[in-house]
Amino acid sequence: MKNLLKKELSELLNKQMLLGLLVSFILIIMLGFVMTSTVSGTLETGEEIHIIDLDNTEFTQQIITRLEEKGYLVEFTTENKPYEIILEEQNWNEAVVLPEGITDNLLSENQTCELNSITALKTTSTMNFAFADSSSAEFVNNMIKILLSEQFLTDNLAFLENPIMITDYTVANGKSIQANSISLVSSMAIFDQLMPLLLFMLVILTSQTIITAIATEKTDKTLETLLSAPVPRSVIIGAKMLSAFIVALIYAIVYGLGFLTALLFTVDSTAENINISSAFSDMIHIQEATQTLGLQIPVLGWAGVIIQLLLTVGISLTASMMLGGLVEDAKGSQTASLPILIFTMFPYILSMISDIRNLELPVRILLYCIPFTHTFIATGCLRFHQTGLFLAGMVYQIIFLVAIAFCALKLYQSDILFVHSLSKKNKILKSQGGNS
Amino acid sequence: MTIALDVQHLAKSYGKKQAVKDVSFQIQEGEIFGLMGMNGAGKTTILRMLATLLKPDSGDALIDGNSIVKHPEKVRACISYLPDEAGAYKTMTGKNYLAFIAGLYFKDQQEQKNCITLGEEICGLGDALGQKINTYSRGMTRKLVLARTVMIKPKLAILDEPTSGLDVLNSLDIRKTIRKCAETYGTAFLLSSHHMLEVSTTANRCAIMKDGMFLAEGSPQELLVKYQAESLEEAFEKAVKSS
Repeated sequence: MKNLLKKELSELLNKQMLLGLLVSFILIIMLGFVMTSTVSGTLETGEEIHIIDLDNTEFTQQIITRLEEKGYLVEFTTENKPYEIILEEQNWNEAVVLPEGITDNLLSENQTCELNSITALKTTSTMNFAFADSSSAEFVNNMIKILLSEQFLTDNLAFLENPIMITDYTVANGKSIQANSISLVSSMAIFDQLMPLLLFMLVILTSQTIITAIATEKTDKTLETLLSAPVPRSVIIGAKMLSAFIVALIYAIVYGLGFLTALLFTVDSTAENINISSAFSDMIHIQEATQTLGLQIPVLGWAGVIIQLLLTVGISLTASMMLGGLVEDAKGSQTASLPILIFTMFPYILSMISDIRNLELPVRILLYCIPFTHTFIATGCLRFHQTGLFLAGMVYQIIFLVAIAFCALKLYQSDILFVHSLSKKNKILKSQGGNS
Repeated sequence: MTIALDVQHLAKSYGKKQAVKDVSFQIQEGEIFGLMGMNGAGKTTILRMLATLLKPDSGDALIDGNSIVKHPEKVRACISYLPDEAGAYKTMTGKNYLAFIAGLYFKDQQEQKNCITLGEEICGLGDALGQKINTYSRGMTRKLVLARTVMIKPKLAILDEPTSGLDVLNSLDIRKTIRKCAETYGTAFLLSSHHMLEVSTTANRCAIMKDGMFLAEGSPQELLVKYQAESLEEAFEKAVKSS
């Protein structure tokens, strides 16, 4: 038993596996740091309340003072400018507007007053947005209720219960519109989150397929037969990559359709439960809002996104060709795909939990070095008019693909394929055919 | 006779280990040349260099007048390589596999057809060619891959341990096929083997290798005379121990 266990462990715990484990460990720690900074940043934001005080009365000042006494960090302005300008000037992500005349209306108790909640939309990542979305308007609303109940003796309980009606405004791309930012994000998330998921699957499937295929060819010695045939190496590499891509595309289409159907089904059933006509009119309104805010991606933009998707798969395939050429056998192929898995998973998870485009500069640079990152942020770049970043990402991907394709071709034209492997054990014996 | 293979001072190292040291020899058209040597002698390295899979550190080899260093793509058009224990694509049928290989060497449909027909004839697998390769025995697979090696009528067929792991009858069939193809199509064969009997009954000439060098070269009969041995096995033992 002891001997068997020792043998099994020595086979499983090889250098390749341990190296992969170490790289994964480092990347997971880095991921943890980024997640922590994102979450703590948004929590800190949650303690801040930004107020645009257009009424500027003793009552509104009292609201601010009492909120500060409660421990909130309140910043306010009394300037009357378009919301998008105030948010940009003050570098705020959200704000609550106390409109002109709110004090008079509240004190006269004759009508429900309007409070505007403004949110700056900078990402379509729902997880990130759920953290970032502040409930400042609710805090202000509650404070108004407290102040009213303290200062006035009234029998109008209905008014006291609900003195404020909160209206949502969303600011994006230098424009603002009356719309709920979460609804806007949800409407775009169907595409913006399905695309990264498909990309993730495409990359993982293609890389695993191609590495295993090459490892099997090496084990069966059919690769040697192919490489000694009068066929250009570039054609052999190209055929393998294309076939893996087609297979992965079939997977992606099937899974994509499945996810899309599930999403649409969820939306439909929600609409049925609420009210079909109101849901439909909401949908129309959201469509108009995204258009007004310039959040819709034009056809040319989608074409660019698809090009980036293809470039990413191309890079993944070429890297897999190289890794596959360096593995010894099909067993080694399981761990050989680890670098691709990690470099895909890292930006994928981060794109889900945070807005990569607004992370700290060193983290951003690190992430931008990973060519897959640019595809994960592609729709975000286009929706928030960062065309320069989008195009730079695409150019970087093209350069990366050309460079890695050149390296792959050189690898397949060289001895390295038969002399070296990721596991250096017995490499000389292997290179000599194992027996001579 | 035309020279099919002319090896000139071929050398190859793996790091500090010199796998092949200044090896030179020639093979004529229709000739069968056997490389004999112990494990690690450098046989496979020579075969892989000639198959253009490895680049020599120095020296060159001309196959049908084409240099393996300067024009590997031209060399690939006139050689066929059968690696040691080579398999075939298991999801294909035998017939599809022969067609696939023919497609790699010939663009013309008629040439492809002729090549496949020849492959079918050489392997002698009959109806089994319609079955998937994963149902084949080791002997059947070996016959199929040998057939695909010679059916294209290469100038030089490079065979690494062609009968390794096969039973007596299958080994005999393979040897007969090699001899027949050499005689009929003028294909030159370079084969490596551990089996002295195989070399003595198949090869016209052979070489004994040790530590990347040729210890002796000649016909099996010449080697027997040189080492005053009764069998090639004995000659091999004497050559290796006396070096």
